[in-house]
Amino acid sequence: MLNRLGYILLYSFLGIVAVIQLFPLFWLFLFSLKDNREIFSGSPFALPSEFKWENYLKVWEGGIGLYFWNSIWITATAVVLTVVIASMATFALTRMKWKLSGLVLGLIMVGLMIPVHSAIIPLFSMFLQVNLIDNPLSIIITYTAYNLPITIMILLGFYYTLPREIEEAAVIDGCNIHGVFFRIILPMTMPIMSTTIIINMIYNWNEFVFVNTFISSDKYKTLTVGIQNFIGQYMTDWGAIGATLIISILPILIAFIFFSNKVVEGLASSAVKG
Amino acid sequence: MGYLKALTATGATAMVLMLGACSGGEDESASAGEGNEGEKKVEFMHLWPEGNSAQHHRVVEEIISDFEAENEGVSVDVEVLSNEQYKDKVKVLSSSDELPDVGMTWAAGYLEPYVSGEKFAPLDDMLDDGLREQFVEGTTEGYEIDGQTYGLPLELNTANVYYNKAIFDEYGLEPPETLEEFNSVVDTLNENGVPPVALGNGDSWTGSMWYMYLADRLGGSQLLTEAIESGDFNKPELIQAAEEVQNLVDNDTFMQGANGLSDQEAKSSFMNEQAAMYLIATWDLPNYTTNEDVPQEFRDSVGYFKFPTVDGEGDMDSYVGGPGVGMFVAENSDVKEEAKAFTKFFVEEWGERAVTDVGIIPATKIDPESLDLPQMYVDVLNDLNSASNITLYADVQMSADAADVHLNQIQALFGGEVTPEEFTEAHTEVLEGE
Amino acid sequence: MNKVMSNKWMILLYMSPALLLVGVLIFIPLILSGYYGLMEWDGIGEMKFIGLENYIRGLQDGMFWTSVWHSTLLALFSTLSLILYLAVSLVLASKIKGAGLLRKIYLIPMLLSSVAIAQLWIKVYNPSNGILNWILMRVGVENPPSWLADPNIVLYAIFLPIVWQYAGFYILIYYAALKNIPETVIEAARIDGASPLQIALKIKLPLIREVILVTVVLAVVGSLKYFDLIYVMTNGGPNGASEVMASYMYKLAFSVNDFGYGSAIGFLMLIITLIATLFIRKATSSDEKLQY
Repeated sequence: MLNRLGYILLYSFLGIVAVIQLFPLFWLFLFSLKDNREIFSGSPFALPSEFKWENYLKVWEGGIGLYFWNSIWITATAVVLTVVIASMATFALTRMKWKLSGLVLGLIMVGLMIPVHSAIIPLFSMFLQVNLIDNPLSIIITYTAYNLPITIMILLGFYYTLPREIEEAAVIDGCNIHGVFFRIILPMTMPIMSTTIIINMIYNWNEFVFVNTFISSDKYKTLTVGIQNFIGQYMTDWGAIGATLIISILPILIAFIFFSNKVVEGLASSAVKG
Repeated sequence: MGYLKALTATGATAMVLMLGACSGGEDESASAGEGNEGEKKVEFMHLWPEGNSAQHHRVVEEIISDFEAENEGVSVDVEVLSNEQYKDKVKVLSSSDELPDVGMTWAAGYLEPYVSGEKFAPLDDMLDDGLREQFVEGTTEGYEIDGQTYGLPLELNTANVYYNKAIFDEYGLEPPETLEEFNSVVDTLNENGVPPVALGNGDSWTGSMWYMYLADRLGGSQLLTEAIESGDFNKPELIQAAEEVQNLVDNDTFMQGANGLSDQEAKSSFMNEQAAMYLIATWDLPNYTTNEDVPQEFRDSVGYFKFPTVDGEGDMDSYVGGPGVGMFVAENSDVKEEAKAFTKFFVEEWGERAVTDVGIIPATKIDPESLDLPQMYVDVLNDLNSASNITLYADVQMSADAADVHLNQIQALFGGEVTPEEFTEAHTEVLEGE
Repeated sequence: MNKVMSNKWMILLYMSPALLLVGVLIFIPLILSGYYGLMEWDGIGEMKFIGLENYIRGLQDGMFWTSVWHSTLLALFSTLSLILYLAVSLVLASKIKGAGLLRKIYLIPMLLSSVAIAQLWIKVYNPSNGILNWILMRVGVENPPSWLADPNIVLYAIFLPIVWQYAGFYILIYYAALKNIPETVIEAARIDGASPLQIALKIKLPLIREVILVTVVLAVVGSLKYFDLIYVMTNGGPNGASEVMASYMYKLAFSVNDFGYGSAIGFLMLIITLIATLFIRKATSSDEKLQY
């Protein structure tokens, strides 16, 4: 048992770390209200001498609304696809019995290792041939494919620990394989699915190499490309970039808090069933 | 090649299957060149996003709408990317032969592979058609390969040392004319705790300009260019210039940690009056003249001087600089005629409006007297008129390979990791191999 | 049971979306990049077949091996930092007051894009205005280092934000794993008189062994192909002092116009990563898979 002093020490440590972790968000907010001169010269702690709310106005007038909406639906679609397809694959890899499962898992792991910049030129020429350049589908399926290996890897560790007795009982009760997957396994893995949803969401939300390469029309561009709008040939408007980043972090923060609670809730539900 | 094609095709077919027939088939933009009702579409990519280069962006938009108004049945389709993303995307597009009809390029080393890969169209017919006389002499040469010109420059820049008059006045300093005077200015500033020179050598093209100027002053204006062409850097003056760089470093000329700072960070130090001098090209002029975001007081206190001579040797009218971005027309463009017409229109309009509306010096001739310009622009334009030589930035002159070595070596030189001899040897080694 | 769980068609059904996507969008580009590695190609003009020349050149390229070493160091650091994340997760997952809030706060930096993180750390490291040197000078350090300019320090200076950037990612995974352990197991141990430390080391850690193993693989693979912050903060400099495999590959393929050679380096990267992963799997393999 921890004694009183131990608790005080523990909490002061946890508190300090919490302050350090919160600082970047606070810093980014201040950053978004400064101009280049203040951003580069003053202490990062310093309050702006004059709150430059016009940074937000500038960002808004730059047509961020459309980028914002594109980011949301592209991210959401890709996340759902990734998590469902990865769960199905992990289910087949860990719960079903087949000879090649080890090999297939190995190949999927190799997919984790490809450097993005090796893939861009081949991918571009493939999309070009099927007329998917400048089509949001190219982005969605690329995001899904490139996040599958890591999502499967994360799910894997959890699927291994699920007791087999549960499915056996379900099968005896007359469940078919889809029943086992959708009614038993998916709900039980809710905590880890929420985890992978958060991770996928962040990855897709912040991605820009693929969008930049495959999309050229403004109407399909996403928020990360909106940031590019403020990077100049010789000068970059950092205040406006800060404002874009603050705006772009809000939905992901809300989604994060929501799914973060699910990490715990899922446990409660699976504990009842288990 | 056949194998490769087959594999890409397999992937493409699989993708079609995967998506359940091709959903990209709506074909709204059709293939480049042919839009609705026989309208010709010119694809144009540039690198001046609205958010940051508002004036550039606006002038581009206006030129485009003027062009469209004058040319019935031709429309211009624009894509804007920021600098780095622009370069990466052009590279990817080019690998699949999908370059836009008109786009931006840089001179010499950047241009070379696109020319040898036959991606850019020669533009000499346009130049011969009366355009050549409009350019400042020598500016199109940077875009010339084997006697043909593949790009039309939009900017012309020269590098000068900008200094903070208020700081200079405070310590009774005068703009130096020789390296000796420069060093004593540096000493005085250091004694008073003012970082003398803002330098962001994390972007090593900035340090490269210092080396280039020293080489120019020590060995004459043609030395470096000839060395790059011949691939022989083993010249006493080039070694001496490297030595001088290290002397400057040892004398605490540059701000602390310059090798790890970006140019933007260095610029900000200068603009926040935390450093007294800053060597940069004329694209920065608006910051010291017309840019309303910069406090008037600061703008008024900035002056510039030409890079000093080394103990009276060297020609102060010889500059480091050169054309910046230029426009190319894609060789395989479906609408080459229209693309060329647009490029010509653009270059001419740009020349008229660049200084007044954008604040940059165009590569086309302008008459400073006829325009209402801030004094600093008039001075710079007059300098340009009496310039004896402009040496193109070393990293632009060189092939991408050699430029990479050069820029790394510049950092190593400033960081004291190599001797001047090792510095020049590394250059000889990479340049000879080409 | 066995009949249901080994139905070939069902396996195919469940695997095929993933296989199709990974196969087409990852493996074909992968093979193609290996193929480009056999070419002399600037990525712009015509290709010329030159056999294994690029690969041999890669194996003899000092800068490549330097970047391999830097990437390996990063992998080592990332793996070691997992211990710290695991410790934090154990605390957060235990029933202390405010754990829910703390956990969310701890993960916030993970939401920031690399653009923001790079800017933050550039400001932390600025030699004259930065937070770090400001603190160091307050406590009496006369000449604090120029973090990103000093070739002996820059690599470690840049590891710190990378490791920090991923803290949230691993804590999130560990937290979910620890929360997944049935309460009954821990309760039983507690009744037997085990201390919290004993419960953590002897019960919890073995139970999430598979998850830890996965995170080790992810940390190593992620580090070996790491690119983002290095590209933005130093671009491998000064003079290659912070060059890693991915930044070197990018530089060759996109800046230096040596796409063939860059592709070959990319393929060598993959092989090195593969060997490292196989090594980890071998070193940690065991037949028993623990279940709750």
